Amino acid sequence: MYEELKKSTGLKSEELFSQVEHSDTESEKIAAPRYSYWKSVFRVFFRNKVNIVILSFLLFVIAFAYIYPAVTHYDPYANLLDPDAKHLSPGDAIEHFGFSIKWILGSGASGEPTFDAVWNGAQISISLAFICAAINMVIGVLLGAVWGFSKKVDMVMMEVYNIIGNVPMILIISVLSMLFSPTFWTMVFALTIVGWLSIAYFIRTQVLIIRDREYNLASRCLGTPTIKIALKNILPFMTSVIVTLLATELPSYISYEVFLAYIGMGMSEMSLGRLIYAAEAAMVTPGWELEFWGPVAVVSIITIVLYVVGQNLGDASDPRTHM
Amino acid sequence: MAKYILQRIIKGILSAVCVVILIMILVYSLMNRENIFAGDSNYTKTQSNARVTYEQSRYEAFGYVDYVNYSEYIVQLAQNGELDEETRPVAALVGPTPEKDSEIASEYIRRFTEEYEAEGYTVTRLEADRKSNGQVKDGGQATVFAVRERSLPDRVISYFTRMFFIDNIHYVPESTDIGERGLTFTLHDPLYGGDKFSPAIIGNGTKHKYLLYFDNKFPWFHQNLLTLNLGESYTVNRGVDVFETMTASQGTYVLSTVSYPTGHVEESADDLHTATYAEGSLAVSEMYAARFTDDYTNTITVKGSMSKMGYSFVIGIISTIMAYILGLPIGIAMARFKNGFLDKIGTMYIIFIIAVPSLAYIFLFKAIGGSVFKLPTLFDMDSGSRLMFVLPIVSLALPSIANLMKWMRRYMIDQMNSEYVKFARSGGLSETEIFTKHIWRNAVIPIVHGIPASILTAMTGAIITERVYSVPGAGNLLTQAINKYDNGVIVGVALFYALLTVTSIILGDILIASVDPRISFTSKGR
Repeated sequence: MYEELKKSTGLKSEELFSQVEHSDTESEKIAAPRYSYWKSVFRVFFRNKVNIVILSFLLFVIAFAYIYPAVTHYDPYANLLDPDAKHLSPGDAIEHFGFSIKWILGSGASGEPTFDAVWNGAQISISLAFICAAINMVIGVLLGAVWGFSKKVDMVMMEVYNIIGNVPMILIISVLSMLFSPTFWTMVFALTIVGWLSIAYFIRTQVLIIRDREYNLASRCLGTPTIKIALKNILPFMTSVIVTLLATELPSYISYEVFLAYIGMGMSEMSLGRLIYAAEAAMVTPGWELEFWGPVAVVSIITIVLYVVGQNLGDASDPRTHM
Repeated sequence: MAKYILQRIIKGILSAVCVVILIMILVYSLMNRENIFAGDSNYTKTQSNARVTYEQSRYEAFGYVDYVNYSEYIVQLAQNGELDEETRPVAALVGPTPEKDSEIASEYIRRFTEEYEAEGYTVTRLEADRKSNGQVKDGGQATVFAVRERSLPDRVISYFTRMFFIDNIHYVPESTDIGERGLTFTLHDPLYGGDKFSPAIIGNGTKHKYLLYFDNKFPWFHQNLLTLNLGESYTVNRGVDVFETMTASQGTYVLSTVSYPTGHVEESADDLHTATYAEGSLAVSEMYAARFTDDYTNTITVKGSMSKMGYSFVIGIISTIMAYILGLPIGIAMARFKNGFLDKIGTMYIIFIIAVPSLAYIFLFKAIGGSVFKLPTLFDMDSGSRLMFVLPIVSLALPSIANLMKWMRRYMIDQMNSEYVKFARSGGLSETEIFTKHIWRNAVIPIVHGIPASILTAMTGAIITERVYSVPGAGNLLTQAINKYDNGVIVGVALFYALLTVTSIILGDILIASVDPRISFTSKGR
């Protein structure tokens, strides 16, 4: 029919209309560029060149903390019997052992290379932070969501929060480390047994704020089940809050571990906190300062980088910045 | 309003009680009780049966069990007049085996067993522990004792009933003859020679001799009628209450001319107003006999420096004031010139304080303060220099400044985007007017809520700062108690912290309601 018309009228093909079958599914399609949330997050995040630098630095530090100790097989007591190896300054250590990257921070009380000790400790501290954050965030966010949604749960949980929040954390940790031996996993257990509570409380407040917003009210009026409201309406809204929270939580576990180790309640593994605690006396001894400031500097760098990356990622995951 | 606050207070007290119960479960049920002997030299010295009884008496002291030894029972019987002086030594002698008991002793041991088993005690008889040659070992003498495990409800109830002590004339056991019991009110305190006008109430038969008195120490008027008993210390500060450990002055003795009740005048640090009853003390000590006329001989000595809580509070309160004076204006300026130079520097500082472990920056401040500003880095109570306060105060203030800056900036920026600000701007107000008259007053409301908490928690001290600068403050009390397994102190300190938190939240709510007319506690408005 089309060819005949073209021949008979002599018009151009653009001016010839033809009937198209109506299709319900086709009419529902939206002719806009596809929006992917996480793609936009990373687009916004990488738009800032500083973020690229800082993120690659963070990845490098974490990779270094895991790969370096695994490659070097750090043994703190390797030089124990060498009386000249103890408390050396970097220059003396390199002179004594020959140049190697592990001597650039000198040596410690039992002749161990401070550089190796620091990175071995960093591995333990970072692992602790990631494991605790993972456990606490999962439990805290899930329970916080339930806590915010249900008024009955809220009544009970508020009382629990008021009571447990008042029990000194140091007491719980010391009782647990006396019950079990003060190992890495005891520390994880101690930090997570009540640690999720404050996260859950924070999430509860956030849920309360947006639970009764108009769009959720509308959803409920239309008969959307609560689970779906929680997953589809509220969770996406909370992503940036959760990422920002994670950014403060991760470094806080490292800091808290340092604090606990300093007051003598740390774990038995030589984490960064234990290194700082053990080297406290070295700080005031001339020539030994690096044994103390080495782990302090590394722990500060790790926590700052973690925090900054997390905060910027949190900013980027706020859909309002995706314009 | 009043009803609401009362409800809150009751709720707060209830949650404090729950905290105490939880902590009692933690320390008494979960912790291994044998830990208390870890650093105990007496325990390693004693052996055989003596070690068993020593263990039990220590468990009693730490609050785990009720323990009665047979010899204590006999002494008590003798005091009550049920035993005469002749039979007493015979009854007190426990034979090496039950068969070898004298008739009188076995009768009394039977009575002891029956009486205490009826009360739920377990009575144990340890037979004489002999060496291979038949001689009784050191500490191996036969003994009989009764032990009862203290249950949690029992422990909680007795803790709270003992917490408030109202002094009364029946404090001294009725069997003791102390002359006429009673309270005397005098307008002329005998301690000042009897001429100076100074009202006081003096008791006989009470725990404290002076129940009400005036002196030259702040707050000049003192009472001993109602005393707070948070928990007795056993290892940290033996026999002294937690509250007193926190509030008693420290340092070197301050001598003044004291005239004792006997007329003896001496340069001494004793504060006679604090005299408490110590049974039989006068008879056993010549020193007391020369100075006192009755058994009220136990006095607190006056020392030159502040108490643990005093040091913590002075440092804490000055740093809190500094934090508010500096943190709020800087936070406002950061919001006012958002993305400006000050904002960028301030944000970097905030990130530094939040992310870096507190230990790291406190040591950094200490190193800088010591080497660049030549400030004293260690606290010395007796030096009298005020410069030693500077570094602890600065170290405590800097993080709270960062915290206040962060929130003030956040709240200001939140308010800056609201409709009423746009309206004010369209109305032609200057930016300064908008900031000082509109935004500031709305943004500061959430900040106000934290003021009582920051003042009250200044009393508990800061663990790391005090340790780094060796400040003799209250911050390390809890860690010290945990390390020494001093259960009484752990419970007392934890309750004190809990009460402070509860009070500061209630005060914060009251304060915020009085600042913000939109917030009301009456449920009608909602």
